[in-house]
Amino acid sequence: MRRTGTVTRLGIYLYLLYKVPAWKRKLLRQPEHTDEELRPLHDRAANAILAAATSMRGVMIKMCQAMATRADVFPPEFVERLKECHDSVPPKPWPVVKAALERELGQPIDAVFSEFSETPIASASLAQVHIARLKSGREVAVKVQYPDIEDIFRTDLRNMERGVRAYEWFDPQPLPLLPLIKELTEHVGYEIDFRREARSGARVREMFAKNPRIWIPEVLEEHSTGRILVMEKVSGIKITEKAQLLEHGIDPEDVVQDLMSVYVQMILGAGFFQADPHPGNLMVTPDGRLIVLDFGLSKELPEGFGMGLFELMFSMMTFNEASMMRAFKELGFASKTGDDGTFLLIARRMISRSDSGAFEGEFTEEMTDELFDAIREDPVVDVPSDFVLVGRVFSFLSGIAHTLGGRANVLQAMGAGGSRG
Amino acid sequence: MSVATESAPDRLTFTPQELLESGSYEEPLIAGGVRCHGGFDSTGAYRSPRMVHRGPAIDAWKSQLARDGHGLIEISKALMPPQYPNVDQAKLLLRNGVRDPIVRALTIISIVEGFGAVIRDVKVPDLGEWVVESVEGTALAHLDKGLFEAHARDESGYREEGGHKQMWEAARDTALENPKIPGDVLMRMMGGGGGGQRGKAERPFPQLDPTLERMLTMMARVCIVEVFAEGTFDWGERVLSDGEVSAAPDAAGGMVRNIRADENPHVEYLRTGLSEMRARTIRTVDGKTIAGETVIDGLLHGMLHEMTRSRPRDQREDLRESLGEAMKVASNPKALLEEFDALESVWTPPETTGFEPSTEAA
Ligand SMILES: Nc1ncnc2c1ncn2[C@@H]1O[C@H](COP(=O)(O)OP(=O)(O)OP(=O)(O)O)[C@@H](O)[C@H]1O
Ligand SMILES: [Fe+2]
Ligand SMILES: [Fe+2]
Repeated sequence: MRRTGTVTRLGIYLYLLYKVPAWKRKLLRQPEHTDEELRPLHDRAANAILAAATSMRGVMIKMCQAMATRADVFPPEFVERLKECHDSVPPKPWPVVKAALERELGQPIDAVFSEFSETPIASASLAQVHIARLKSGREVAVKVQYPDIEDIFRTDLRNMERGVRAYEWFDPQPLPLLPLIKELTEHVGYEIDFRREARSGARVREMFAKNPRIWIPEVLEEHSTGRILVMEKVSGIKITEKAQLLEHGIDPEDVVQDLMSVYVQMILGAGFFQADPHPGNLMVTPDGRLIVLDFGLSKELPEGFGMGLFELMFSMMTFNEASMMRAFKELGFASKTGDDGTFLLIARRMISRSDSGAFEGEFTEEMTDELFDAIREDPVVDVPSDFVLVGRVFSFLSGIAHTLGGRANVLQAMGAGGSRG
Repeated sequence: MSVATESAPDRLTFTPQELLESGSYEEPLIAGGVRCHGGFDSTGAYRSPRMVHRGPAIDAWKSQLARDGHGLIEISKALMPPQYPNVDQAKLLLRNGVRDPIVRALTIISIVEGFGAVIRDVKVPDLGEWVVESVEGTALAHLDKGLFEAHARDESGYREEGGHKQMWEAARDTALENPKIPGDVLMRMMGGGGGGQRGKAERPFPQLDPTLERMLTMMARVCIVEVFAEGTFDWGERVLSDGEVSAAPDAAGGMVRNIRADENPHVEYLRTGLSEMRARTIRTVDGKTIAGETVIDGLLHGMLHEMTRSRPRDQREDLRESLGEAMKVASNPKALLEEFDALESVWTPPETTGFEPSTEAA
């Protein structure tokens, strides 16, 4: 099969890319490569992966995106390059989409919709989105999964797993890629299951039912399947378009406040969250309501995670190292050497990257990068993947907040600062 | 004693280090295995932290204010909304094994105390620029030079030393024997998905420098919260020191008493500072002036009026929302609810706050 061939070639290319220079050095009895020297290699590797992914679309793109979320494992050059995987996917031709739709609906399109726009408004890695009108007259957005995605998903994963096993067999000190693949597989699996996405969206929608400033589009269950989502159509200004927000008389600081309040309530309050706050998934209506889209990657956090995270932030704010250690353990950090002092070193490195030299409640991108660097450079600490995911979310939010001229202060969003009297 | 002479009553200027100085204790305060601030003297009496100079300093600033013929603002205790559930209701719940509402309330108190740390982030503008009269040798001149920092450390702890957050946790855990913390504590504290009001309300005094306005608003709010906390803490002390519902009446009750002692200087420096501002003239951004009294009384009146109404209502609604669920653990939830309701006390906020814009200066 063509896909298998592409992955195999990519695997061999990557292997040789890193190994040949290392063998050379060994033969010539030169010291090992430094990080600095490896940088161009990372760059070439990322390019190769990106090229393969774009030619193969679908799952490989998702995998790239997922890899781009693991700055704690992969080098920065890699992560930066792989981030480009977003949204750069050409749409599928209409006949293909139409056939998929009708197969899922079990009836012709015009039995359900009175209008259906053949050109999608967005096409992403796993699905594309069309605007349509139900026979009832209601305007909707229809997210249609690419027809063959499940099969592709399985083939790609099998190939990738094989590739990794082969690599582990060759390499005397392999990167622990297998567990990572397992986790990425799990995440991509979530995103392919549109029923799950519908349930997750409904759960978060319920969470904010009483908040008139938050709008989460309703999924119309009766027309949705595991591969199609028919949703209330929303429209708004992309959250990072500060000038447009201002033009509509919306205070960007209010937007930051709502954004933070939503994520803090999901993560620290409810323990269930939409883990994908990239600007494509966040909009603001002209009257200032925040729209949150795309619940494909939503996750349940273990019990006590929110409290543990709060305690970690609180102890960082008060420089209380004993409670920092307690909080790290509560969150599931484990030291492979038995020396918990390593946690403190990580915390100190993070704090040192904050603007004021003290932690005031915001996980900035710099701090999160520092955290991931620390973990990668000194892999003696097992970091719970939930923490990585949450850290990434907060660093995303910090980026958006800074774009809007605000700050993503988690403690403040929880109510510190007296907003609750 | 050298300490006493250094802090002679006529001294009005202090360094930040002095205002943060705790001196030494005969015995430290250990709560729930955590070293906390403060400690005990040779007579066994509790001594609050950071009070070697801060206490005498506040007294000196207060005397100066009186010498200059200015009043000290007083927030009437009658304005203090009662805690919901009240002491009898809380004990009833605990006696019947309904612990979640009380554990949740105590946990939220500990977290809110910890959040007190953000007072250190309050920006203080150049007062020389915005206040007509000198502020030298006043509490106002020491806000960002030790007072806010001391307050922040009292509430949230600092480095290895726990503060009120840890002390409340210890009181809860000794009295109720390490109860399971309900999973919804943070969600409930954050208003449970409801919108809440946006932090940014209308500016009460738009003619002021925004930084000054924010600082005074924060001081007024925290001052009121600290006064109202008296009621909450009294409730906590009475519930946790009752041997019928508390496993450690002496230790837990005593811990809350220590916390209450520490709160005293907070109320005192804040009301001193606000009174000093009230006795002065403030420059506006458009080059005019406004009487400090107008600003301070205006802020206090607005907040007191709002909080005496919203707070009891919010607290009651909050509790009752999940009371039915929490009572399911009782043997006869229906009878328990009836008994609970029979213990309810009614409270209506006083008509006046004492800071009405029209009233003459006190
Ligand atoms: N209910 C809706 N109303 C209007 N537009 C929508 C709606 N849902 C999705 N869209 C549009 O379609 C785009 C892609 O949707 P969505 O993010 O759900 O897909 P995705 O495949 O998960 O994409 P990605 O993984 O790249 O975020 C959104 O960025 C938005 O522009
Ligand atoms: Fe306190
Ligand atoms: Fe206090």
